This record gives sequence, structure tokens and C-alpha cells, in this order.
Amino acid sequence: MPANELTVKLDRVCKSFGEFVAVNDLSLAVSAGRIYGLLGPNGAGKTTTIRMVVNITAPDSGRIDLFGGRITEAVQDRIGYLPEERGLYKKMKIGDQLRFFAALKNLSGKEAEQRIDDWLVRVKLSEWKNKRSVELSKGMQQKVQFVSAVLHNPDLLILDEPFSGLDPVNVKLLKEIVLELKTAGNTIIFSTHQMELAEEICDDICLLNRSRKVLEGSIREVKRAFGRNAVALRFEGGDGVLDDRTLVSAVKRYSDGVEVLLAEKASAQELLQRLVATGAIIGRFEMIEPSLHDIFIEKVTEAV
Amino acid sequence: MNKFLAVVKREYLYRVRSKMFVFMTILGPVMLAVFTIVPGLLMSMKTEDTHLAIIDLTEGGKLSKPVRDALLQQDEEDDSAQYREKFVGSRNANAKNRFQKAGRALRGRFFVEEVNVNGRSLPDLKRELNARISREELDAYLVLPADLLKNSESNPTYYGRNVGDVITREEIEDRLNRAITRQRFVANGVKEQYIDQLSRPVDLETHSVNQKGEEGVEDTGAGFVLVFVIAFLIYITVLLYGQVILGSVVEEKETRIAEILFSSVRSFTLMVGKLIGVSLVAVTQLGIWTLAFIVLSVYGVGALAARGYDDVAIPHLPFSFFVYFFLFFVAGYFIYASIYVLIGSMVTTAQEGGQLAMPVVFVLVAGLYLGFPVIRSPNSSFAFWVSMFPLFSPITMVVRIVSQTPPAWQIILSLSLAAGTALFLIWLASRIYRIGMLMYGKKATIPEVLRWIRQD
Repeated sequence: MPANELTVKLDRVCKSFGEFVAVNDLSLAVSAGRIYGLLGPNGAGKTTTIRMVVNITAPDSGRIDLFGGRITEAVQDRIGYLPEERGLYKKMKIGDQLRFFAALKNLSGKEAEQRIDDWLVRVKLSEWKNKRSVELSKGMQQKVQFVSAVLHNPDLLILDEPFSGLDPVNVKLLKEIVLELKTAGNTIIFSTHQMELAEEICDDICLLNRSRKVLEGSIREVKRAFGRNAVALRFEGGDGVLDDRTLVSAVKRYSDGVEVLLAEKASAQELLQRLVATGAIIGRFEMIEPSLHDIFIEKVTEAV
Repeated sequence: MNKFLAVVKREYLYRVRSKMFVFMTILGPVMLAVFTIVPGLLMSMKTEDTHLAIIDLTEGGKLSKPVRDALLQQDEEDDSAQYREKFVGSRNANAKNRFQKAGRALRGRFFVEEVNVNGRSLPDLKRELNARISREELDAYLVLPADLLKNSESNPTYYGRNVGDVITREEIEDRLNRAITRQRFVANGVKEQYIDQLSRPVDLETHSVNQKGEEGVEDTGAGFVLVFVIAFLIYITVLLYGQVILGSVVEEKETRIAEILFSSVRSFTLMVGKLIGVSLVAVTQLGIWTLAFIVLSVYGVGALAARGYDDVAIPHLPFSFFVYFFLFFVAGYFIYASIYVLIGSMVTTAQEGGQLAMPVVFVLVAGLYLGFPVIRSPNSSFAFWVSMFPLFSPITMVVRIVSQTPPAWQIILSLSLAAGTALFLIWLASRIYRIGMLMYGKKATIPEVLRWIRQD
């Protein structure tokens, strides 16, 4: 699959429930072979968006294309979905459940059996295959659910808060698997409000707030477009430089230094020259990028 | 299609392999027997003995001995059975009498003392006996008035500690009746050897006549029992598997599996797969019961015939009955199962579901009870309307077919109405199911549900 091909394309999609508008005029594009982060606070419309992509509900208006075409049942079989709200049949054996979920994706027989065994080995649950899910711990159940979403090697994998409630060892294990799947060419949509995690594994992100898209792009682009030039500083001398409002718009003082926000049109280069010119002794001078977390908070509170 | 079969298969195997299924399959018939027989047994059970005293005020005190003998006559069959034994032989030793005998064995015995009147006045005697009752030396006493044999209006009186024990009282009354009637016959000059013969009760033999004017074999009431069993079977199976459906829907909603399932398979496919999977479990269970019934009745009747009980007839059921039974069962199952799906999609927990399903259970029970007047007059206009109403017809129409087959057009009309209702309810349930299953948090309100039905 060429890298510029779109796996998912939403064009001006709207969805409301009665008076409540869940998704408003949303357009977005998920490129093949990348990890796409769908971010946003609770109630932003992430789950509704995902439900429309996996064809659980239909949009009121707008168009959704998957793999360059409309959603059909055959296309549904190429999707793996791990919802945020999820569960297993309590009294059914793990092996039987996975076989059932595989059959719902038209995967059966020996191949299904082989893949179930392989995946259970991979997530270290082989000896639990014939146990009922009530006997498994919550973390183990979560890994079984994860397996049910990837079992049929979906071209598009949609994970809604996949790591919530997992211990660090298992988070690491599943993260590795997700990155491997990406390397193998699978497209992954990753919905979360854990920004550190998104920053760590997503290539592209889309931020939703109050049913609308706030920003979209690669993490790099998003940070650049956010246009916040912050510099972390530690120096002695250089009196008055930071008071120049044409250069510095805000200063935050910490115990071992300051963090300054450059004024519009000012550059970090200029600040450094001015400091050197006033004879300051510089211990630290570092450009800091806004974290996704900062962007998230700012964009979301801005809207309020 | 593969996905549909996967849903059916999962639902079927999951249920059939469950302990609950094995348990119900074995226990169902046992429970049916228990519910019909045990209350009777319990009622007739009395392990305590009854100490009775008799005050005989008749001339010469001649009545107390026969009364005592009648009361002491222990564990013997009642008079009518004795007569039958004598005159009709073993063929009347039917289940009813054997059952009564078994019941009697569980009762306590009577200990009887005759009070020596010795010229004392009745109030004196009563005072003494009342005192003994209060000391719990005595349970009760009988007063046989002086004119008991001569005056047919005269009655004995019972004074006792526990007058609430209706069964013991009835038994005493029964035995007194026998003894006193007999003594009245004797007092009026009837020779003793004729008394038994003359007071033999009649036994009404019953034969059915069908629409073609053919007479059936003697019906000993087994037909009634069979109709009841069939009505009960439909009722209990529909109720049981309706609840299974409710549990299944609520489980998938509660555990949020529905969301995963909906992303792989259409909600309608899923719902219908579920209904059919569970219906196959119900049919499997009914099949096992029917087979057991046939084996038992063929084997059982053979075994009884070998012992001389050759008139124990299993009522004959034509093949068409089984077809109707199956069709009405299926219609009834889908009507109620769809209602249960509908309820399951509206609630958030099994508990809420159970509460909301209470009215459904009432309607089903009503269907079962309406079956009784229908058995008594299967051709009344009441029976007609009750067997046309789709929520009742799966029970009431089958009851009519067994007791007195109505004209074919009525059966077909009733079946069509039931099938149409089932289809409508399946459609309605699917509208609510596809949206309700993804709504978490709180029980749906009626306006919400109405909106879901219209929503695209």
C-alpha cells in the first residue's frame, strides 16, 4: 500500500442524537500505515466518530470512505475494533470466545486456531485458553480483548483507550505489538486522552472538542503550527533583558531557572544575542516545544 | 450467512453445555410432578395421632362400638374402593385410589375411647372432657345424641382442640357417616348382607365422540391431565427461554460485548441469530422430553398391561397435533422472546430487566389460567376469542386442539395472527435493540424508545 493512500476519509460528517450534536462537520484523513491519534476530552465525539467508521451507526450527512470505497460487510472484516467500553462473555472459555470473534470476521477453521494459539503465546496467556473469563484478572481479560481485535490481522485497527487500567509491563507489551503492526503496514487509529502516550506513539493526530475538529496533522506540524516559542533559561546577569516586552511576552520563574515565552516576531536567536551582549553568564539555553498536553489544555480551555 | 451461523452456534452450544440446561432437562418433568402431586401429599400428611373420646347418648350406647370400629379401621381403602374391589375387580384400582391410599398411610392414627356415661349428665361429661383437652390428654371428643339413629335430622357434634385441621375433621365425618348410615339401615330392618351391595356408588364411564362420529376408548381423566401438561409445557418453556433471551441480551449489553459484535455483524443478524439459537435449545429440550414421554408411555403401558392394568390408556394424539403444537410453540416463543429482547435492550442490569419483565410473566400466566375454562367448554365464544388473541393463543388454541379440535379455519386464523404478531414484534424489537444495546448508564424511558423506533 503506497504511503500516501488514505485508509479512512471523513468528508463533512455530521451526527446528532435528538437535540444533541455529537459530531459536527468533521473532515479528516487517516493515511495508510500510520498511527493516527484521535484525541479530545470526554464527550468530544470520539466514540461517535469511531462508531461511524466501524459502521455501527450511520452519519446523518457527509461521507465516509474506507480503503477508498464505501463501507460494506467485506470491508468490515478488514477492521479490528477494541472499544473503550468492552467485555467478554463471563462463563465462556477464552478459546471459544476468540473462535467466535474470529468467525464474526469470517476467519475460521485451522487458520483461526493457529492464530489464536500464536496470539495467546504472544500475550502470555496460553495456559488460560480453556479457562472461563471470570477466572481471569482484569488485565488478562483486557489482553484477551486486544487479541480479539487483532486476530484477523485487520488492515485498519481501531483502539479506544487500549491501555487504560493496565500495569506498566503489559502497557509496554501491547505498545510493542501496536508498533510492530504499524511496521507491518497496518493502519491504526488510536483514541485516548492520555497525551503523553499519544505523543509517544502517534504519527498524526486530530484533536476534537465539543463535536468539532480543533486541529489535525502530524505531531511535528501540529507543534509548529501551535507557534509557541518557549525557551528554558538559566543565567546570571543580563539585567532587564527579560523585561523587554518586544522580546519576551511572559516569564515563568522556577527554582533553578526560568521559562520564557518569546514575543511575536521575536526569535530565540535574538534573545540569546541580547543576553550575551549584556554580559550574562548562560548556564542553560534550550528551546522547548509545547507538549501535546499543553496544546490539548490550551485548545480545550480556549474553547470554553 | 457465516456470521449468522456463528451467532446461532455460539448461542446454542453455550446454552446446551451449561449446567442449567442439563439440570432443567432432568428436573423439568420432576418439577411438574412435584408441583401437581406434592401439595396434595403435604395437605394429607399428618404424622400426629388423634386421641378421640366418644360420648354415646343413644339408647343402650349401641352406636359407640361401630363408630369406634370405623375410626380404627386403619390403612384400609374406603368403602367405595372396597365395593369396587369386590364387584369390578382390579380394573378399578386406578391411580386415584392408589394415590389416596398412599396419602392415607402418611396420616396419623386414631385412638378412640368410649366414655362411660353411667347416668351422668352431658354438661358434666363435657366439663370433664374439656378439662382433659386443656391438659392435652385428649385431642377431641364426639357427642352422639340420643336420637341419632331414629331422627335423620339429628347430627353428632365434634369438640376439639384443633378445629383448623380440616382434613382430619373430614376424615372423621366420612367414617362417622359410614358407621351411622349403616346402623340406621340396620335399625330400619335392612339385612346387613344387602347393605354393602345396595350402597355401592356408581362409576361414570366416559367416552369421547370425535367429529367423524367415532367413539374413543374410555377416558379416565388422563385427557384432562394431558391437556394441562401440554399447556404447562408451553408456558414453562416460553417463560424459561424468554428469560434466557433476556439474560443473553442483558449480558451482551452489560459487558459491552454488543459494541464489538455490532462492528462485525449487523444488529438484525445478531438478534435473529440469538433468537434462533435459543429457540433450538428450547426445541432440543422439548424433543428430549417428548422422546422420554413416548418411551415411558410405550414401555410403561406395556409394563402395566403385563400386570393386568390393561385399560391404562395413554390418550391418543394424532400426528397433526404434534405439527400444531410445534407451530404454536414456535409462534409463542418468538412473540415472547422478542418482547424479552425489547426489554433487555432498554435496561442496564439483569435485575432491572427482571422487574420490567414482570407484566410479561403475568400475561403468560393469564394465558395458562385461561386454558382451564377453555378445557371445560372448548367451543364457547369465550374459548374462540381467547384462542385468537396472539398473546394467549399459543397456549389456549393448543388446549382447544387437544380437547376438541376446532374447525381448520379457526386454527389457521389463530396461527396467522400469532405469526403476524411475532413478525411485528421481531421488527419492533430489532429497532430498539440496535440502538438500545449501545446506550449505557440508565434505563431507557418510553419517549426515548419511541424515538429509537423512528430513528434511521
